[in-house]
Amino acid sequence: MDYELTVGEAAWRDEVRAFIRENVDPGLASETRLKGNEGRGPLALRFHRALRDAGWWGIAWPKEYGGLEKSAVEQWIFIDEIESAGAPMLPLTVTSVAPTIMRVGDEQQKREWLPRINAGEIDFALGYSEPEAGTDMASLRTHAVLDGDEWVVNGQKMWNTMAHTATHNWLAVRTEPDAPKHKGISMMIVPMDAPGVSVQPIWVWPGLRTNALFLDNVRVPRNYLVGERGAGFYYAAMALNFERLAIGSVGMGRRMFRNLVQLVREREVDGRPLKDEPWVRDRLARLQVDLEAGRMLGLETAWALEQGRMPAAESSMAKVFVSELVQRIADAGCEILGLDGQLHPEEPSALVEGRMQWLYRIAPMLAFGGGTNEVQRDIIGFLGYGLPRK
Amino acid sequence: MRPEPSTEQRELQAAAREVLSREVDPDKLLRWESDATGFDPALGRTVADLGWIALGLPAAAGGGGADLVDVASLVEECARGLLPRPLLGAIRSANVLAAIAPDDPLLGPIGRGESRLAVAIDEIRDRDPGRFSTRLGGSPAARIVSGGKAYVPDAAEAEFHLVASRAASQPVFVVVDRRSAGVSLQPLRTFGGDRQAHVHYRDAAVVREIASARGGADVLDRVWRVQTALALAEMTGGMGAVLDMTVEYVKQREQFGQKIAIFQAVRHQVADMGTTHTAARHLAWQAITRIASGRERDMEMTSAVAWVGQAFKRICWAAHHLHGGAGFVVEHRLRFHSERAQSLCVRYTPEAPALREIAAALLDAPV
Repeated sequence: MDYELTVGEAAWRDEVRAFIRENVDPGLASETRLKGNEGRGPLALRFHRALRDAGWWGIAWPKEYGGLEKSAVEQWIFIDEIESAGAPMLPLTVTSVAPTIMRVGDEQQKREWLPRINAGEIDFALGYSEPEAGTDMASLRTHAVLDGDEWVVNGQKMWNTMAHTATHNWLAVRTEPDAPKHKGISMMIVPMDAPGVSVQPIWVWPGLRTNALFLDNVRVPRNYLVGERGAGFYYAAMALNFERLAIGSVGMGRRMFRNLVQLVREREVDGRPLKDEPWVRDRLARLQVDLEAGRMLGLETAWALEQGRMPAAESSMAKVFVSELVQRIADAGCEILGLDGQLHPEEPSALVEGRMQWLYRIAPMLAFGGGTNEVQRDIIGFLGYGLPRK
Repeated sequence: MRPEPSTEQRELQAAAREVLSREVDPDKLLRWESDATGFDPALGRTVADLGWIALGLPAAAGGGGADLVDVASLVEECARGLLPRPLLGAIRSANVLAAIAPDDPLLGPIGRGESRLAVAIDEIRDRDPGRFSTRLGGSPAARIVSGGKAYVPDAAEAEFHLVASRAASQPVFVVVDRRSAGVSLQPLRTFGGDRQAHVHYRDAAVVREIASARGGADVLDRVWRVQTALALAEMTGGMGAVLDMTVEYVKQREQFGQKIAIFQAVRHQVADMGTTHTAARHLAWQAITRIASGRERDMEMTSAVAWVGQAFKRICWAAHHLHGGAGFVVEHRLRFHSERAQSLCVRYTPEAPALREIAAALLDAPV
């Protein structure tokens, strides 16, 4: 039983921290906030370029694909440090799509896509959800029909975040209409500049843009279907598995909490230090302990991965706990800031860059996005404790 | 980093689980509950003969020389199997004494189960050592202690008491023979399965004063850490047992023509119990390992104190809800764990002081 980082893990953490000190511009967090989902600003691009130059773009990738093949605990350390510093995480293209191509793509697909992803030339939006297929992804209707050497794709995707800045879409489409619904879906790469692809903006509560994606007789080469026909539902689940360490990370919550604590230490209300208010002290102390509990759940996931286990239940625990914790941090932050907490980030007098009210607005998405917390709790019950499905 | 038990710790736990599954059952627990001692002497002998009390004691005292993490592993399993609390208390107090006085001559007989030690710290209205009224007096050659200690576990059965007292402004621990003149007890009926008493010491002879080169405050701190570490292990063991029995119950219990685990409302409560247990287990063991190594850095113990006890109680509440009446009968194991959850919580892991300490570290400490 040992909770100390090994010498190698501690050295890696120090290396990541040194990298952050060197490459995270103080304005990067603000730029990321201002850009929202509008692509990356110059500071974020510079940071990502630095990651690529350091060879850290593929920290989880196998060495044969130019990756570092870091262990799960080392990846967990990396994610925690990057998020805690307010730096932009590695894009899903790198952490989710590329590993799936590595696992299930043929040699030609690997040669075509992986070097370009590694070079930062390609950015994917993820096209899973549809108007009638949210949590129940297997009910999706967007379909593709083979016509000679091309697939002809028709349908609509929802919540296709970054579709307006991405170069490609990683699209779940029905290719086997007669198969059971879970076994009729395939994963397909669709270039965003293909004729018939159109994007409509959807603005969501925290002021971010996501999109509806329309596909009208879009033709893509036959070999843009990745892996086996009909295995797409399972590939999507596989892609989610690659994200498990990031999904339950408390890095962002810790950063927000740190900013809030700093403010409380400095601020006076009614002529008294805000930090002397018993309810403020109690609330912050509870959140501090909850953050540590959330960190422990992330560690559980990393450790399970390190041991070669698929930590579906463990990562669902982290996802549920951390997403609901962020809601509590947001709520506490708004209440502690009081009337000032209402201010828009662009207001000159906004405290903590207006992040608490932003966090309050985005927090609900964390609980329903990335697999609703109801589904996560089902996964914990089924896979963690062997509860019966029927 | 290896946040799970070692092979040796697993083997130790498996052996303890086998013994406890054989030796402890709800009928016996009920019977022992009404006994004065709270356990069967034969089980007490078994525990001593297996070396459980001596596991963490120095080899010179006939102990196993195991570290606090190994002892906590054993305690976790003993709590899971509902080893009677006076016997868990015997393991705890033996390790407390070993931590502050590794050469004490009492360690041998305590480890062999021939003698027992009660740890007397709290006073009637005071848990802050700075306010303790129990005082050390007499001459250097014939020390005496006077004052009252409250809610002392195992006070009546233990032959010796380790008493927190004060000499001038310094805290100091002394060993007192419970059978000596000037020691009087008021046994208390409490829940939680231990045997507590208020104890009054009136010029009672001191057998030995526990000296420390680093001062009495250091000794007090060490006692507090060892007791807390082992209490955290008791809690994780108890909550693990409660979770497991609840999972089994909802998989078997049928209502409306199907297993109740089928209902999402039930499944989600189990999921939350599991998440709570997982986080609590790691918080507890992070604290235990850091206490054991003396490398506590960022209030790991305080964080665990603030969270783990409450987690244990939340898990018990949920388990009661899901068991319904079946878990409410006196002979059900669940209620023994629920009693221990609260009993451990109020003594070893009170939430409010821990939160106050965390708030002070966050908001008052220099950056």
